[in-house]
Amino acid sequence: MEELFLSRNFKIENGHTLPVYESGGGYQRLKKALNMDSATIIDEVKKSNLRGRGGAGFPTGVKWGFMPKESELPKYLTVNADEGEPGTFKDRYIMELDPHLLIEGCIITAWTLGLRYGYIYVRGELQFAIRRLEAAIKEAYAKGYLGQKIQGKDFDFDLYVHPSGGAYICGEETGMIEGLEGKPGQPRMKPPFPAVVGAFNAPTLVNNVETIAAIPWIIERGGEWWASMGIEKNGGPKLYGLSGHIKKPGVYEAPSGVSVRELLEDYGGGMLDGSDLKGYIPGGSSCRVMLPDTLDALMGFESMREAGSSLGTGCITFMDHTTCMVRIAGRLAHFYHHESCGQCTPCREGSGWATKVLDQIENGNGRMEDLDLLLDICDNIEGNTICALGDSISIPVRSYVELFTQEFEDHIRRKGCPFPAWSLRSSASTRAEAVAGAE
Amino acid sequence: MPKVTINGTEIEVDKGKSILRAAAEAGYDVPHFCYHPALSAPANCRMCLVEIEGVPKLQPGCYSQINDGMVVHTESERVVKARKAVLEFILLNHPVDCPICDQAGECKLQDYYIDYDAQESRVRTEKQNKVKAYPIGPEVVYDGERCILCTRCIRFCQEVTQTDELTIVERGDRAEIRAFPGRELDNNYSMCTVDICPVGALTARDFRFKCRVWLLTSTDSVCTGCSNGCNIHLDHFRNEVQRYRPRYNPEVNDYWMCDEGRLSYKSVHTDRQTEPKVNGATVNWHALAQAVADKLGKVEDPSQIALVISPQATCEDIFLAKRFGEETLGGVQFYLGGKLSGDSDEFLIKADKNPNTRGIEAVFGGTDSLKSFDDLLADMESGAISVLYMSGTDTPCDAETRERFVGLLDGLKLFLHQSPHAGEFADKAHIILPSCTHAEKDGTFINFDGVAQPIYQAFAGYGRSIPDWQIFLRLARAMKKPFDYTFLTQIQEEMFAASQAPEPEPEPEPEAGDDESSAPPPAE
Ligand SMILES: Cc1cc2nc3c(=O)[nH]c(=O)nc-3n(C[C@H](O)[C@H](O)[C@H](O)COP(=O)(O)O)c2cc1C
Ligand code: SF4
Ligand code: SF4
Ligand code: FES
Repeated sequence: MEELFLSRNFKIENGHTLPVYESGGGYQRLKKALNMDSATIIDEVKKSNLRGRGGAGFPTGVKWGFMPKESELPKYLTVNADEGEPGTFKDRYIMELDPHLLIEGCIITAWTLGLRYGYIYVRGELQFAIRRLEAAIKEAYAKGYLGQKIQGKDFDFDLYVHPSGGAYICGEETGMIEGLEGKPGQPRMKPPFPAVVGAFNAPTLVNNVETIAAIPWIIERGGEWWASMGIEKNGGPKLYGLSGHIKKPGVYEAPSGVSVRELLEDYGGGMLDGSDLKGYIPGGSSCRVMLPDTLDALMGFESMREAGSSLGTGCITFMDHTTCMVRIAGRLAHFYHHESCGQCTPCREGSGWATKVLDQIENGNGRMEDLDLLLDICDNIEGNTICALGDSISIPVRSYVELFTQEFEDHIRRKGCPFPAWSLRSSASTRAEAVAGAE
Repeated sequence: MPKVTINGTEIEVDKGKSILRAAAEAGYDVPHFCYHPALSAPANCRMCLVEIEGVPKLQPGCYSQINDGMVVHTESERVVKARKAVLEFILLNHPVDCPICDQAGECKLQDYYIDYDAQESRVRTEKQNKVKAYPIGPEVVYDGERCILCTRCIRFCQEVTQTDELTIVERGDRAEIRAFPGRELDNNYSMCTVDICPVGALTARDFRFKCRVWLLTSTDSVCTGCSNGCNIHLDHFRNEVQRYRPRYNPEVNDYWMCDEGRLSYKSVHTDRQTEPKVNGATVNWHALAQAVADKLGKVEDPSQIALVISPQATCEDIFLAKRFGEETLGGVQFYLGGKLSGDSDEFLIKADKNPNTRGIEAVFGGTDSLKSFDDLLADMESGAISVLYMSGTDTPCDAETRERFVGLLDGLKLFLHQSPHAGEFADKAHIILPSCTHAEKDGTFINFDGVAQPIYQAFAGYGRSIPDWQIFLRLARAMKKPFDYTFLTQIQEEMFAASQAPEPEPEPEPEAGDDESSAPPPAE
């Protein structure tokens, strides 16, 4: 993209500091917003077609509309910065390189919805981001952007950084709220939704870092402008984290609805030399894996669903021909098994079972009926759990078994992995060659 | 009222009811582990998933509330598959050590497995290992491998006792129940967690490996530990009480009872005196009654006779004691016996440690006509009392006073001791009248709140012990002033008519879905 918004300050020296941020127009959007009324701002956000960047893609304006106007308890803003999904690494860039954009977004959001306290719930491992955010919040307090009577308005807002205790499940919004309250990160049953009963029993808005970071820009240039950088129902530029066997892995800003091919070729520099694309995960490891023939799919929530997967967080992992899909499936299942909070039976037990069966196949102890068993385990988890982590096991595992059945069967028949040195990147250029080479 | 259709049956239910309870009203059992009617519903076990028309995902019946016009299926193919799946998942890491598990026979997992799963295992992977026989509290032992992590025990400590000892440690299938660091599962009601644990993960130290539950016979009774009168299942095997379990009664104790009361069953079998004796010689009841009639008949001034009435006795026993004293002997002095008051709490435990103080009040029309135990000591010291007819071994006084009392017994002309237990009185009593404990007789207790509650005989009296009321019948007959009773029901009829004793109300039926009063185990 020619002009950058979400990543504008990433490459600017000291872009994380208040003076540099302000020199680029920072906090002017806050001043503008403070002269707008709540309904107008919500309307702009609705018009912007901004979709939640945490993975579920819920229209942000609609979510804001659910927040009750009146409340006996102080209302809360919780910014979900727990970013823990394998393959997803975009929020940390905003927090580390442009923390004031997030903070300005928080203040505008609080002003709009009458939120009294804000927490940025940061993944515990992201120490650097936590330090940068804390420093930036200090600067903002000193300048009167946070605290009481902000900019002379009848508007108090305090913002805190809350380092997560360190569990992926604390990224699930109600798990995060439990964590914030000092309890084990175990998601709650919904309803009630956080907008009604959230943190400390009060109405609570949960939004992703990147979602909130978009708000200052929508205030500056309007919802329609934001929507224009996208496709139907998916507005605005977005950060795409590209990883895997590509030339230039990294975080890139591009419009919503860009095609996967464009991201791979124009931004990511294409596959590594000698690498053939075998499959890719479009939006964090809980999405269905996709085959190369879908490269022209557009990165929007609806378009990705039509193409057979989901947009998720928009962070893509590209895998080449040397990748053992059984091992990938096993590795991902292992992650979700490790991270399952253990509350509900299907996720707690099913995640471990699927992992063990996948390991069995990878290690050469598989049987043909294990494939049906895996699909049935997925069936039995999916939709039957308290939170969506259950589905994060079943959806990807099912996709690997379904799309790479042949490879699973090869493992079982050969009693072992045909990619013995898969991580060392074999010189074979096709799967068939790799299989042959190993024999 | 909203109307819902459950498996084709249309019923009206109260707004806000869960599907599980509505289904129970319609006559359909929705299997469940984590749901307990007295606790919040975390919907974590996923056993109760049901299908609601128009809702894409299956929903937990314990948590989802009914809506007007809802059409619910609790036995559809999808539901049955999900149920099977949950059971298969639970059993994945379960040790299946039923043969050595105390819960076997009253385990929800066993029951549901038979009802809904019962298929060949598809598991070829290794099981997760967790702690076994972990001492989670002084009365309770935890088995991590059997635990299904339903959190009932945690919620009990949060919501019922509000002592908050327990939590889950670790995550996923490594999760286990533990007390918080530096604490243990130690509260006055800790053993209730054993009752509500749907599997054998929490077992009572007292009951572990003692008796297979299918050998137990269960008799409805009332705990005698204090005046709250918690309703119990008195579970017994071969004339021995093996354990108490609380019996659901929303007016008295809900689903709970205290640990001390629960373990009070032990008194049924300790320190028993079982043979009628006259001056140390064992005799039969006929000879004993003759001897008593002879001796009491010779007392010239009945006001020299002290009759100690125990609030540990049933209303029927007390009623006959009163008539025996007033009519058969005539003009005796009544004194109030029983146990000394103790600790109480805001929940079930009452300071009055006697189950039937209100029963005495009802039979005697208040306690004014009974003198206190202190009066008894004074009267014994002054010589105003020379004959003591004592029921029970309890004395409502401190240890020092009791010692004094025991000392004074030597000065009595005649000491009759009527009790299931010997206490320190066996050597002192001229006449021993062995009576039955509450486990061996029918009767009525009136709790602190005025609720009259029946108890039922679980097994025959120990040795030759007989219920107090029968003793009084025999003595009265021997004294040629027989009462006109043969059966307890006759006494009850007259007692309820003559006294202020309220008649026992019919037992409240557990509300639909309140199956947690845990049906008694199958009879022998
Ligand atoms: C298992 C699980 C993990 C999640 N982790 C994150 C996360 O790390 N960051 C995030 O923003 N959203 C995460 N989400 C999504 C949140 O639940 C929630 O939808 C999101 O924060 C809402 O913000 P948005 O509307 O701005 O996207 C996760 C969801 C699930 C089910
Ligand atoms: S689905 Fe998994 S992570 Fe979510 S609540 Fe259930 S056990 Fe916990
Ligand atoms: S110990 Fe029993 S009650 Fe507690 S969580 Fe485990 S299974 Fe449930
Ligand atoms: S009983 Fe409903 S989920 Fe456990």
